[in-house]
Amino acid sequence: MVRDPKIELPPEVRHTLLGDLREIVRELRSSRDLIYQITRRDIKIRYTQAIFGFAWALLLPVSVVLAGLAVRVAFVHMSNNGVLPPNQVAGVSVKAVPWAFFVACLNTATPSLVSNISLVTKTYFPREVLPLSAVLAQSVDTLIATVLIALTLPFFHVTASLQLLWVPVLLAMLWVFTLAVALFLSCANIFFRDVKYLVQVFLTFGIFVTPVVLDASMYGKTGAMLMMLNPIAPVLEGLRLSIVQHHNLLEPMASPAGFIFWHPWYLAYTAVWAVLGLLFSAILFHRCERRFAELV
Amino acid sequence: MTGAMCGAEPRLLFDRVWKKFHRGSLHDSLRDFIPAVARRLVTRTSDRELSSGDFWAIRDLSFEVRSGQTLGIIGSNGSGKSTTLKMLTRILSPSRGYCEATGRVGTLIEVSAGFHGDLTGRENVFLQGAIMGMARVDIARKFDEIVEFSGVSDSIDTPVKRYSSGMNARLGFSIAAHLEPDILIIDEVLSVGDMSFQERAFGRIRDLARSGIPVIMVSHQLDRVAELCSDAILLNKGEVTKRGTAAEVIAAYVQQNEAARLVANTGLVLLDSVRLSTDAIASGAHFTVRVEGQVLQPLCPDIEPLVVRVRSLRTGAIIFVTSSRRLSVDMTRTGPFVAKLELQANLPPGSYMVEVASVDTAASKDVASGTPVMIRVNETATFSGSVQLNPTLSLSP
Repeated sequence: MVRDPKIELPPEVRHTLLGDLREIVRELRSSRDLIYQITRRDIKIRYTQAIFGFAWALLLPVSVVLAGLAVRVAFVHMSNNGVLPPNQVAGVSVKAVPWAFFVACLNTATPSLVSNISLVTKTYFPREVLPLSAVLAQSVDTLIATVLIALTLPFFHVTASLQLLWVPVLLAMLWVFTLAVALFLSCANIFFRDVKYLVQVFLTFGIFVTPVVLDASMYGKTGAMLMMLNPIAPVLEGLRLSIVQHHNLLEPMASPAGFIFWHPWYLAYTAVWAVLGLLFSAILFHRCERRFAELV
Repeated sequence: MTGAMCGAEPRLLFDRVWKKFHRGSLHDSLRDFIPAVARRLVTRTSDRELSSGDFWAIRDLSFEVRSGQTLGIIGSNGSGKSTTLKMLTRILSPSRGYCEATGRVGTLIEVSAGFHGDLTGRENVFLQGAIMGMARVDIARKFDEIVEFSGVSDSIDTPVKRYSSGMNARLGFSIAAHLEPDILIIDEVLSVGDMSFQERAFGRIRDLARSGIPVIMVSHQLDRVAELCSDAILLNKGEVTKRGTAAEVIAAYVQQNEAARLVANTGLVLLDSVRLSTDAIASGAHFTVRVEGQVLQPLCPDIEPLVVRVRSLRTGAIIFVTSSRRLSVDMTRTGPFVAKLELQANLPPGSYMVEVASVDTAASKDVASGTPVMIRVNETATFSGSVQLNPTLSLSP
């Protein structure tokens, strides 16, 4: 006979936001070795039995750069100038690498739980490790591409300046935001397996609503503002302005047409997206996590 | 019971745990999902309630395992053993109730789940070790020992996709077996590798289980449960149907499985008590089965009032049957009886179940059955092998 469970149950464990966050941090700290091993595995298996080997790390960023340059060359010819200015080449390169990083991270992190489903259903470990390791593995790849792009920049008349100090700040914001999106999408993908395809569609067309190939200022006053609503856009534009134009990001910047397209508030905007996004995704992920093994 | 932790003492605790599963798929499409979410927001029914299509895989399961205790969980397929195991290892979480494992949990389950075919044996040892919660330095320290135990040292730098399934399992087991856990959870992992590895693996498990840490073992191999576990619980359709010493619970399990053969309430014979002269015996020694019962009605010739069967718990098969008729003892007279059957345990070491029944030979059904009793046959130094042939050696000068 089934007894009435309402009378006999132990008290339900209450989850608070702060408690959950503490748990996530504690679990991830104790899984450092696991994060390292899974990241290593992800990097290693990508390059074994592949013709290009480590050249794969460069394929996506270099393709984005070349596509961007082709568009720019067409623009230059339309305005009858004939020659592509070197700082435009540098500007496109500097934005292409982080964009390629964002795309590659989401492409590998979104299916990371589903493709490791046998691990998820057979062993216990904090499941955050899987999307996190996917992002870390991609970070290593991107580091190679970044070094290569950095080496080419002097050839396009890019010189060092104090504004380069913005680069680590911008990259940190991008990394945190990418991790937030990766956590969210990998979690969503285990519930709805078609999220993976949605992500691919969005990333394919995302390049047109993100100032990667073109600069935000090329879209006009309203267009630039709309473009900058994309949380990735301030990072990309910020990188171009600080590295190529030596602009202090705490100052607004006006376009050649006379309207202000860069505002320091954009930095805060992206930072808020990154931090709140990560908190939201991490807690959402943590609360869904206990059901993952049932969703096979 | 409270959920408070009692110091750092390692233990496993299940406190009134219920687990709900859903039949069919969760939400077939967005069209089902959105109304489901909306309904949940409005009605606030929690996960603790049963809605349509749900069923309880575990009902009200409680137990506690402390240091020095070994608990066996037995039951037929679908009884909830695996679900219990997955909640113990935190792969699943209970729908209601509370479960916890204090201390580092070592699991001898799915020991090579984390292996990746493209990585070498060496890399997989570190990867699988990390998945099981071992620190990198600990794996490095024990690496040689692990490889040595697995017996795959020649191929340790070969990708494991070129390993045989036996090598895979051996390497996985070796990693798990060198974990130094505070708590040990064992599933049926011993069906891997060849005989000699299985013996070595079980020896390792025995050492771990007897080291005084809390142990839970889930198994169909009743002789292993009988050998390792002090206590046991029997699960049937998610509920505990028997709780007690390993011997009692195994007896209940055997009886439950034999229930199909038993015709209830025939009112022909009563088998009140079955006792053995001893519950552990040296191989080759004698023991007595004492049965007290009552013949209630005059029996027709098809009924054999006393049948004694011996079952090997290693294989689960009946290995010996005798009966009053085969032994030419007339027991058809009505009234109470006390029967003593003397047997010689010409058996290899292991656990055996002595079962007593009255049988209708025409219908090949049991019309009465006594409580099964377990006997343990201990090793003697005089032989090894699967049969005891009572060797005596004499020399003529």
